[in-house]
Amino acid sequence: MDSSWKLTEAQLREWLQSLLDANSVIAPVEEDGVLLFRRIASEDQAVVEPSGKTRWSPKEFLFPRSEALYRYNFRGGTVQLEDPPMPEEHQVLFGVRSCDASGLVRLDEIFLSGTRDRLYAARRENTTVVSTACAAAEPECFCTAVGYSPVGEEGSDVQLVPLDGGWMLRPLTDKGRELVGDATDGWSAATAKDGKRIAEIERTVAAQIERSPVNREWSRVLEEGFEHGAWDRLAQHCLGCSVCAYVCPSCSCFDMNHQANAWCGEQCRSWDACTFPLFTHHASGHNPRKTKQERYRQRVLHKFAFREGDDEPFRCVGCGRCVALCPAGLDIVNTVAAAVEAIREEGADAAR
Amino acid sequence: MTEANVSVTRGETVSVPEGWQPHIVALVCNWCSYAGADMAGTTRLEYPANVRMVRFPCTGRMSPLMILRAFEQGADGVLVSGCHPGDCHYVQGNLVARRRFTIFRSLMDFIGIDLKRLHFAWVSAAEGHKWAKVVTDVTASVQEAGPLPRFDRPEGWDGIDLPEMAGSGPQELDSDQLDAIRTHLRKAASEMLTGGRVGVVIGYGAGTLPDQTAPIFITDAAGCEKLEWGHGCRNNLSTYVGSALEQHERVAVVAKTCDLGAISGLIREGQLRREHVSVIGVQCPGVRDGSELAAKCLACSGDPHPICDFVVTVDGVHESCQDLSTAVLDTPDARDKQIAHLESLPHDQRWKYWQRQFSRCLRCYACRAACPLCYCSSCIAEKHRPQWVSTAIDSPGNSTWNIIRAIHLAGRCTGCDECARVCPADIRLDLINRKLSLEVERQYGKIGLNPEEKSALVDFRMEDSEEFIL
Repeated sequence: MDSSWKLTEAQLREWLQSLLDANSVIAPVEEDGVLLFRRIASEDQAVVEPSGKTRWSPKEFLFPRSEALYRYNFRGGTVQLEDPPMPEEHQVLFGVRSCDASGLVRLDEIFLSGTRDRLYAARRENTTVVSTACAAAEPECFCTAVGYSPVGEEGSDVQLVPLDGGWMLRPLTDKGRELVGDATDGWSAATAKDGKRIAEIERTVAAQIERSPVNREWSRVLEEGFEHGAWDRLAQHCLGCSVCAYVCPSCSCFDMNHQANAWCGEQCRSWDACTFPLFTHHASGHNPRKTKQERYRQRVLHKFAFREGDDEPFRCVGCGRCVALCPAGLDIVNTVAAAVEAIREEGADAAR
Repeated sequence: MTEANVSVTRGETVSVPEGWQPHIVALVCNWCSYAGADMAGTTRLEYPANVRMVRFPCTGRMSPLMILRAFEQGADGVLVSGCHPGDCHYVQGNLVARRRFTIFRSLMDFIGIDLKRLHFAWVSAAEGHKWAKVVTDVTASVQEAGPLPRFDRPEGWDGIDLPEMAGSGPQELDSDQLDAIRTHLRKAASEMLTGGRVGVVIGYGAGTLPDQTAPIFITDAAGCEKLEWGHGCRNNLSTYVGSALEQHERVAVVAKTCDLGAISGLIREGQLRREHVSVIGVQCPGVRDGSELAAKCLACSGDPHPICDFVVTVDGVHESCQDLSTAVLDTPDARDKQIAHLESLPHDQRWKYWQRQFSRCLRCYACRAACPLCYCSSCIAEKHRPQWVSTAIDSPGNSTWNIIRAIHLAGRCTGCDECARVCPADIRLDLINRKLSLEVERQYGKIGLNPEEKSALVDFRMEDSEEFIL
């Protein structure tokens, strides 16, 4: 059993400050009234115990909104190619919610399985995640309904658990233990009673989330009812923006584009989303997902269906950001439940 | 311009080197200013060599995008020059351009571009001397302004506290009154459907989060029981009218006071036919942004406007038949204090304020999607031959996107604030829109509700003001 520690808020902040010596530290920061993950210069900039979740997940520190994959220039009459520098700086993601930490693991599955994405892999290698267990659920939260937990350890190297008047710090991986290192001088060991707090939080938060669970078998129902007419109705008011995908901890789609002028340029990878018509628009003019309904269905199914086995987790981690921020009030969990109900009642082939 | 200019905009620190000379891009019309510059050359006049010219058929062809692109690519100043009013080769191109530049200039000033960098001139083909003088003056002016500040998020900057917005908002409605409105609304909607007046009613249905609603499309009378009314009815439903008309001959839409301008705008711009849409205006208690009344509601009466076919109030349903030509949009003003405060600050502070906001932009285009008047089937942000707006989600493309979105709505935006509401990064698009509305109003008069009127920036008068033009 790993040793865990009990820290006062002052000790935690002191530790956070000490992390800045050797790492680039990314923590929740309030900017113009918006809570966001930002690189901090000193511990006092960080919001250690925020009242809500950050507006979007910290995925941009592993999978940047835009990054150059290679650069080129035309010098001396030839084309010269240049690799962007590999990310070498060690970074700590501090105060990541359990759902967001799981979201990073879902990104790993995309970028590190099969052909490893070298820029992502380099960043991931150099990243240590310090997660914070949630003491309370926000109105939009539904992690427990999709198989995740407010105290989940997936994706975390160190876990912080809020206690009455302090924090329990639990190194969970070698990376985490290395990060904590000998900072433990002066920290007191956590007691068994502190350890019980984890289960207690899990119970409290789970009770706050009133959503009925998404059943794992529904994946197959959704796949069978791919052409079901209900999708037309369910996504009728989707506006076709990409708020849901860009604030999502596990959405990983991107587009390639040239940023260039007459002298030099770069091949740039930028976030993209399946809710945009251009995402699937072919050069020929054909678009296999012509309507916004088809595009929204893709997003829903990519989260809750198309899985290889029943034990594979949903790609929706239940942070609820897309529900809270959707301009049209679309709710992914309700959509799934309504689609499943319609497919079961009317049969998978009910007309569009 | 050189490769160095490009890398400057990509984030390296700009220092003012000894003997720094500004780069200035001149966008000139082929028929007058280009020939005027030629005349200056053949007359052997000397003037500073800082200007690089790009030739256009007409100032009317020049989009603010081209000015923004020049700044993006490292220009420190931009000069736009064309024919004198009345001399346009295409009769009126420069007159429309004059209005466009008047408004664009005020926006650039507002977001922190020192107007010493941005100049407009009328130079005819015979005015070689004037061209030389204009270039000399513009170069001196840009020299004084110094290198263009970086398009980037300012690090270690404390930010600006804007003054609080205040206002009483519309008449408050208690739950009984809201229930009464809901009952009347449901009845009116179901009568429209059963009477065959419309094929669909676009309204608000229950949402999943507290105080949230979601748009619903109702096609049978029974469904009207799902219609909701209250503080959570935030969406401007006129966004959906166009797509609903693809399936139904006539559409009814539930509208708040602030939504009506958009319907009028859509009719004015030929996107809707008045007879295809029935507007159900409903007495509005104001909508909430978080726990407080939204900014747009603070100075709003909440009363439906005469463009409505039916008006639903606590008392019942009334036919609305007032004359539109006199109606003027009830423009909210709670933000004007904030705008005035920003305008009182030096340019570098304003630049930092907006660069920080724009740096948060995720380019989710929710602002565009939610805007009823952003109806282009193919947006400039998606055109890539050439790529005017960079798709990279960082500076300076983020600035260009946000500026160009605003300028495309100048004189058309009716202040429903949907863009600002849906922005996940809380970019104060409402301040930008409001600033532009104020400027359009100051120059060309109020934006009315009359669908017969042209919007300000596609119109012109010979006597339009041009005191800033050299």
